[in-house]
Parts: sequence; C-alpha cells; structure tokens
Amino acid sequence: MEELLFGIGISAVAGALATVSGAAEDTESDIGSQGDPNSQVQLAPQMGYIHRIYSKAISGEPPAYGLWCAMGAGLAWALMAINYNPVLAIVLGSAIAVFVQGVYATTAYLGRTASLAKFEQPVYIDLIKSVTTVTMAHAFIAIFTCVAMCFLMVNALGHPFPLPLLGLVWGIALGAAGSATGNPFYGKERQYQSQAFGAGVPISASGNIVRYAEAGQRSSLDNGWFTSKMGGPASGVCFGLIVFLELWRTIFFEGFAAGWGAVIAGIVLILIFMIIDRYVEKWARKTYGPYTEEAAEEASA
Amino acid sequence: MSVQITASEGGMPHNKVMAIGLIGSIVCMYLTYLNTITGTEIFSFFGGIAAVFALWWGTDTIKHLCSYGLGTGVPSAGMIALGSGVIAMILATKLSTMGLISSVMIIPIGCVIIAAIIGAILGYIANNIVNMNIPVMIVSLAELCIVGAITILGLSAMAAGSFVFADLVTGSVTFFGVAIADYQASVIGGGVIAVIFMLGAIAVQHAFNACLGPNESQDRTLMLAAECGFLSMIVVSIMSFAFISAGSAILAFIVSVLGWVYTYNQYLVMSKRDAYMWLDAKPILEKKEA
Repeated sequence: MEELLFGIGISAVAGALATVSGAAEDTESDIGSQGDPNSQVQLAPQMGYIHRIYSKAISGEPPAYGLWCAMGAGLAWALMAINYNPVLAIVLGSAIAVFVQGVYATTAYLGRTASLAKFEQPVYIDLIKSVTTVTMAHAFIAIFTCVAMCFLMVNALGHPFPLPLLGLVWGIALGAAGSATGNPFYGKERQYQSQAFGAGVPISASGNIVRYAEAGQRSSLDNGWFTSKMGGPASGVCFGLIVFLELWRTIFFEGFAAGWGAVIAGIVLILIFMIIDRYVEKWARKTYGPYTEEAAEEASA
Repeated sequence: MSVQITASEGGMPHNKVMAIGLIGSIVCMYLTYLNTITGTEIFSFFGGIAAVFALWWGTDTIKHLCSYGLGTGVPSAGMIALGSGVIAMILATKLSTMGLISSVMIIPIGCVIIAAIIGAILGYIANNIVNMNIPVMIVSLAELCIVGAITILGLSAMAAGSFVFADLVTGSVTFFGVAIADYQASVIGGGVIAVIFMLGAIAVQHAFNACLGPNESQDRTLMLAAECGFLSMIVVSIMSFAFISAGSAILAFIVSVLGWVYTYNQYLVMSKRDAYMWLDAKPILEKKEA
C-alpha cells in the first residue's frame, strides 16, 4: 500500500513537471516560429511581405525536442556517472543542451533569411540578440523539467530504460504534444488575425501574416505573451495528462493479470478519450455551424 | 505551399565532396586506433573529426537528393540516414568477433561496406516498391547510410575511446575503490548512443534545411554542416568524461570548441555576405510598389 501511494505521488509530481514542460515548450516554439507555422513566416517575403519575425527551422518540433531532451538527459547521466549531485547534473546538462539549442536557433534564422535575399528580406541582427535568449530561457525550463521527470521515472519508479533513452522518448512526446496542441493556436490564429475568425486561410492570403502590432511592428516576443495565455497551458495540460495517465495506469494496474492489466487500462483510456473527442467535435460543429453554408451564401450574393 | 528549392549553381562538384568526406572520415576513424597502439585515450577526438567529415559530405548528399523537390523531406532524410546507419554500425563493431577476420582494423571499412549495402536495399525499396522514382535515390540513400554509420561510429569512438563492440557495451563503475565492469555504465548500455543518434540525425539535416531557399550557396551550407559537426563534438566530448580519462576528454573538448568557434565565425561572415541587408534595430523595409 505504501509503495502504491509513493508511486502515485511520484506520478503526480512527474505530471506536474510535464505540465510546466509542455507549456514552456509551446511558448518557446511559438516565439521562435518553429514547426508548421514556420512555413508561412518563410513564405511571407516571397509574397512581398517583409517582416521582423524570427524563423527557426530546426527540423520539426518532435525531432528537435528529442535531441534537446536526450542531450540534457545524456549530459546529466554522464555527469552523474562521474559523481555529480543529481540536481546539479540535471541543471548543468540542461544548460549545455540549451546552449546547443541557441546555436541551432541562430544558424537556422541566419540561414533561411540569408537564402531569401532574392525577395529583399534583410537579416535583422537585433532579432537574434533579443529573441534567441528568450527562446533559450523557455527551452531551459522545458528541458529541465522533462529531464527531471525522466530522472524521477528511472530512480523513483525503477523504469528499466537508461536516462538518455527516456529523455529521447519523452522529448519526442513533448515536441509532438506542443506541436499538435499549441501550434494551431499560433499558426492559424495569431498569424492571421486580419482574417475573419474561422475563415481559414485561402491561397490568396498565404504569406499575408500579421506584421504590425497594436503599436509599432510585431516582434516574435509578443508571441510569448499570446501563447502563454492559451496555447501554452493547453499544451501543458496535454503533455501533463499524457505523462500522468501513462504512469498512473502502469502503477495502478500492473499487478493485475501479470502486467496485462496496465495494457488493458491503456486501451480503455484511449477509448474514453476517443469518445470525449468525438463528443467535443460534434458539439463544436453543432454550436458553431458548418462553414459550407456561409460559402454558399457568398456564392449566391 | 512549400519553398521552392533551387540547388545552387557552381561550387564543388558532389563527387569531389563525397571523395573528401569518405576518405577523410575513414582515415580519421583509423587514427582513433592509435589509442590501442599507444595504450592511451588521447586520440579519441579523431572519431569526432571523422563524424564532421561524414556530416559535411552527408549535407551535400541531402542537397543533391532534395533538389528533386523534397521540401519537407529534408529532416526525414537525416532520420533515415542515422536510422539505417546505426544498424550497419552495430553490426560492423562485431565484425572482428565473427570469425572471418579477427583484426579490429576491419571495423571502419566494414562499416562503410555494410552501410552501402543496407542503404542500397533501402533505396531500391523506396524507388521500385514505394515507387518514388527519384533517379539519384539508390545512390543517395547508400551514401546517407554510410554517413549515418560513420557519424555514429565516430562519435561513439570519441565517447568511449574505441570502436570495438566489447568496449562499447562495457563500462566500469567504481564501487568502494574497486572498478567493476558494468553494462549499465557503457556507451550502448547507458543509452548515450541515443544522444549520439539524435546529435547526428539533427546535424546531418540541419545545414541544408536551414539554408534552403533561392539564394542558398554551397560554401555557406557546407560551413554550417561542419559547424553542426563540431557542435555535436562539444556535447560528446563532455559526455566522454564518463568513459575516458579527464585529460583526453579535455583535449577533445578543446579541439571541438576551437573547430566550432572557427566554423561558426566563418558561417556568420558568409551569411553576412549572402544576406540582402544586415540591419541592426531597423524597421521593416517595405518593398516599393513596382
């Protein structure tokens, strides 16, 4: 019983860490315009819209975060192997991983922007100075919490995988959660606030992203404030739930049917979420109506 | 809507890049064997240099392959390179214990041959069974598989000081002053190879992915590839403190930092050369209506 309570407690802490991690990850990627919204940022100069928005194309978010978290975990593992204190090792490992992330971010911005010279997009060097540091700070929080969560899984819950491998697996999951949950909010809403809500992005509007702010010109830093309101917490809840439910079902049901209990519980959880998703989707379609009617009205008018 | 990729004109021909990358990386792989000959670990950093050569060559291969309109396929090219490469690399490290040739000198060259075969099979599957029909697919995937295999072999050798399978799966844990052989403390058993995998996979695709666009130029892209290689070396050199002596790890760290500072600086200079304008704290320059 005590072991079970301990396991549930660790699951809760890991879930909380994962929530912070997910929120920081999405905020980081939106400030840097990583992931799918990046295509519009790159397209804008080609359509004649010169902008001052960061463009950080380092693969997709899942592989990139797979690297950052694996790196943080691997460095922490190596430092612990030479008898560093685990807390210090995780902090140092994450810090070095963030250094690498920052270098990749600057080279990605410089590379893509310099290759768009034909479309008269200048390199704004002050963007590198101001935005890179902010994405690095958010990435540090994301990596540190993710590695700390993996460390808890290995050392408190006795997960059989070594720490760097867990870092890779959960890093990819973290990037995927942030990319799937948070990015539509930035890519479809923030970049296209000039379009009517729910209108989608017609081809003619491609690349016409919002480049001017309420006062002055929009900087990628504004995306941090915007994302931390909705997209970031949503990603955090998504990743936190994934981690918590994953650990919870394993700890609670592993004793049943020689370990198959945890597998069955996992399948039941997936079914429950599928039902919830279906219900939410039907509710949203019913409440906000189909788009086709509006299109038909426009055509007749 | 994807960015149109135009492979830049001129520059070094791909075959020359391939020759330099292949020969350079194999020579550097053999130089790590000086560790065994001299009984030290200070030559480990040559493994990292081998990986830099391989990544530099792999970037040009990806550029060559992706000029056939694979916009979003750039990161996946890096993944398949390292994913297939790791199989070839692990098989190659066991070659010396398989009975045919007992010398460990077979490992680097064997790694290249096995990787070429695996890559060619994957290329055949992609081209003829999945029907992607890209003329350079088979050759490019064979090249990428070699690149991935050498990158992982090189960085693993850099971390562990040796490219032999037995050394990669045995670490040592000091327990009350007594060193005990432990699988959990090795490069493969500790999962460090997962970090090396991702370091290689992101590094091999990043340079072309970051520089693609109408004004991409070969020297800038390849300089960025070398920069990514040295950056990966920095991380591996810090992790190698867990496996090799502190002096050797510090030497590897210094070599990688020097290489990184030089290539990063060169990359900044080339970006400044290629950029339309280089502005500091200036407003958006709206295009004049033509």
